[in-house]
Amino acid sequence: MDKFKDLPDSDGFFGDYGGKFVPETLMYALQELEDTYSKLKDNNEFFANVDKDLKQFVGRPSPLYFAKRLTKYHGGPKIWLKREDLNHTGAHKINNTVGQILLAKAMGKKRIIAETGAGQHGVATAAVAARLGLECHIYMGANDIQRQSLNVYRIKLLGATVHAVKSGAAILKDALNEALRDWVTNIEDTYYIIGSVTGPHPYPMIVRDFNAVVGRELKEQSIELFNKFPDAIIACVGGGSNAMGVFYPFLEEDVKLVGVEAAGSGIKTGKHAAPLNDGKPGVLHGAKSYLMQNDEGQVIDTQSISAGLDYPGVGPEHSHLKDSRRATYIAVDDVEVLKAFHNVTRLEGIMPALESAHAFAALEHLVKDFSKNANLVVNVSGRGDKDINIVATMGGISLD
Amino acid sequence: MESLLIRLELKLNTLKANARKALVAYLVAGDPDLESTLELMHGFVSAGVDVIEVGVPFTDPIAEGPIIQSAHDRSLKKKITLKKIILLVEEFRKKDSNTPIILMGYLNTFLAYAEELNNIHNRGVDALLIVDIPGESNLNEVGIYNKSIASISLVSPTTSLSRVDGICKSSSGFIYYVTLRGVTGSEDLDIKDAKQNIENIRTKTILPIMAGFGIKTSKDAAYLSEVSDGVVIGSSLVEMIHRASDKKDYKYIYNYLNEISEAINK
Repeated sequence: MDKFKDLPDSDGFFGDYGGKFVPETLMYALQELEDTYSKLKDNNEFFANVDKDLKQFVGRPSPLYFAKRLTKYHGGPKIWLKREDLNHTGAHKINNTVGQILLAKAMGKKRIIAETGAGQHGVATAAVAARLGLECHIYMGANDIQRQSLNVYRIKLLGATVHAVKSGAAILKDALNEALRDWVTNIEDTYYIIGSVTGPHPYPMIVRDFNAVVGRELKEQSIELFNKFPDAIIACVGGGSNAMGVFYPFLEEDVKLVGVEAAGSGIKTGKHAAPLNDGKPGVLHGAKSYLMQNDEGQVIDTQSISAGLDYPGVGPEHSHLKDSRRATYIAVDDVEVLKAFHNVTRLEGIMPALESAHAFAALEHLVKDFSKNANLVVNVSGRGDKDINIVATMGGISLD
Repeated sequence: MESLLIRLELKLNTLKANARKALVAYLVAGDPDLESTLELMHGFVSAGVDVIEVGVPFTDPIAEGPIIQSAHDRSLKKKITLKKIILLVEEFRKKDSNTPIILMGYLNTFLAYAEELNNIHNRGVDALLIVDIPGESNLNEVGIYNKSIASISLVSPTTSLSRVDGICKSSSGFIYYVTLRGVTGSEDLDIKDAKQNIENIRTKTILPIMAGFGIKTSKDAAYLSEVSDGVVIGSSLVEMIHRASDKKDYKYIYNYLNEISEAINK
């Protein structure tokens, strides 16, 4: 079997998952992207530019922080936080957009499109497009526009156009459909910056590679701060880009990897967004992967307190890591997540995004498996400022 | 038992022998309901349609424009499944054993019924057109093992000539040339490119080539039929069916198809 780190194969598969399941018109654009990326991948100058932007524009490296009071609260292993919430624009999403915008530039594309759920990827895309003076269009579900209004305004301030998508349940999945339709229509001058490790090959690989800076930094920082690699890394999984970015450099190391999905109202209710826990393999948005679907092969509506995890699919590499048991995937529900959000905010003075709060909520289930000497790292994928309206509403407080 | 792949080949060969162009018509199964779909299918044939493409609804039809998307949604609200659509085809076959039928849709819905697909050639289905599989793939490579049905692939204006060869080799029935860069029903029909691109495809295959996506008027149909072996009409029919769905009086649709059939065979 191929080593995990050597995947995907040349057809874009991670084991049984991945591939390029797209309408024919897009095949040419995917090939063009793949060719460009494979040329630039070994180009030191290209990556020197990416690194420079990560340092000066994003503010990397993000710190590895010891969460003293949270450690005490759980009473078990040492808990460390990888602070992606401190990145410019507020989440890990910018790692990917900084890289992909340079690919777009190398390909001479003048127009940038993206989908967004929580709005973080929309903001991160609009920011890099603004910086290069490129026309930018963000597709966002009409329901997400309502629940993430702060980010919508940020995207507009950055000069991008926000397109409200009203089809389906008007959430992330539907925004992706519409972005793909835009791309099919404007294929020649448009670059599509996919925001997660989802979609057709080569996107899952490219988005992972650009996010892998998180895991590479963590390798150095963990050696520096506690003299060995972490015993476990915990990250939330919607499409799964923050998780894949922090997992990837550790795939061949003896480190437990835990992905946390959104159980929404509870796995048993069926109202959730946890395809790895309660879905089955299928094909959506260009790739084969675990999928929330009914017996007729129709994609079913998802539910989660966090717009960024409210997606019926998941990156194909996660499906492969699940089947091969290299990573473990659990799910936590909205109630647990909200509790974890408040807990971390009060104990550490850090307000995590509701997406990242899923990883914190998982600690309740995980700490018992580790000794006091163990080191657990939670990837804090983003900050929670965008979510204060939701948190207030859930607490019965009106901010108007 | 004779392979029903023959029905589609026979139809297209006969048209060619008579120097006629094929009229392929698309509709979404179950929009507005299955009884209407059955009525429309027979009506299409009487109006001069040679091949029928039956759309299988999917929640996330990424190659479709708003008209066909809405039809998929309406069909799903009626709880239309692939299973019911195969029964519909069997019903159609009771009165019509000559008109080839293609099921067009997205891979995930076909995979959900992979076993049921094994014998659909005996139940009246002649071909599958799966919009989201790479054209070079054979059906068995994506998990559909029926070797007695045709697999129709799309070639678009952006398909490189180097790939056309592989796509044609894994296709049967006909090649579907996409006449625009965009989703179904778009406005920017790419007539100029079509001629050259179809000529390029012809150097790679002896299969007939149909042109479709965005053809609405008999003028466009007439022009494209000059450079191809026939045309596919989709979105405009779906829209007309929807507009007539209250009174279920589909006569004006049959007139429209009649007009196109005559225009492509002048």
